[in-house]
Amino acid sequence: MSELNLTKWVNDYTEDMLSWALFKVSDSELAKDLVQDTFLVAAEKISTFKGKSSPKTWLFSILNFKIIDHYRAKKKMPFAFDGDEVISMFFNENGEWKKNKAPHEWQIDDTHLLDDKEFNEVLKLCMDLLPEKWNSCVKLKYILGKSGKQICEQMDISKNNYWQMIHRAKLSLRECIESKWYKN
Amino acid sequence: MKKLMQILFLSCLKATEFIEKKLNHKLSFKEKIQLKVHKSMCQACSNYEKQSKLIDKVMSETKIENVNKEDIISLKKSIVQKIAEK
Repeated sequence: MSELNLTKWVNDYTEDMLSWALFKVSDSELAKDLVQDTFLVAAEKISTFKGKSSPKTWLFSILNFKIIDHYRAKKKMPFAFDGDEVISMFFNENGEWKKNKAPHEWQIDDTHLLDDKEFNEVLKLCMDLLPEKWNSCVKLKYILGKSGKQICEQMDISKNNYWQMIHRAKLSLRECIESKWYKN
Repeated sequence: MKKLMQILFLSCLKATEFIEKKLNHKLSFKEKIQLKVHKSMCQACSNYEKQSKLIDKVMSETKIENVNKEDIISLKKSIVQKIAEK
């Protein structure tokens, strides 16, 4: 394997890799960086590529590591909670809203919200702050319009798991939007 | 009173679960009544339902950013250049 191959791969796979990265992270500059980093890692490791898998599979596996790294790095950011943390963030032991977490009424005109650029930006930002799996789950469901069954199969999760993810993701999203958009 | 509510009615945690289930699927008759009763007493969960619906609606209309051809070409160039520099 040589640099020649690599140049060909850049030509052949950059577009697919970028689409995938964009799906996972939404921010186009970040997605481009991730794809570029992937090829730089590939250039370093090309001697270890024995052609057992297709080059595309190999490159995508590197890209997926890069994406996971990105999510790991931002885990410490606010709103990026995982698992049961979310439930105890919002509710007390009796399942009641914690005082400062109870949803306030949004004094907004719903009819114009769909065209509200700022709201859309905040929503995107908030989606990207979700843990990686929830983010994929939410995007598959709402943006790509996949059914629950398809999502369970694709992500290899149980139906219960799926419902739980949607519920927790929505709790986090709502809170994120309220604090980043509404309170501004 | 709070204790009684917990036994007879839903907690807010459960109510928000039901709201998500309702938006995505269907509630059973009993669940529908429970949710209705809960919302009639709980402004926070009523707010949650409204906002959750709204978020669903906006998300369903969101498109994943398209990459334009020029961007891809310039990205390819920059990658090939970076590899050559190594």
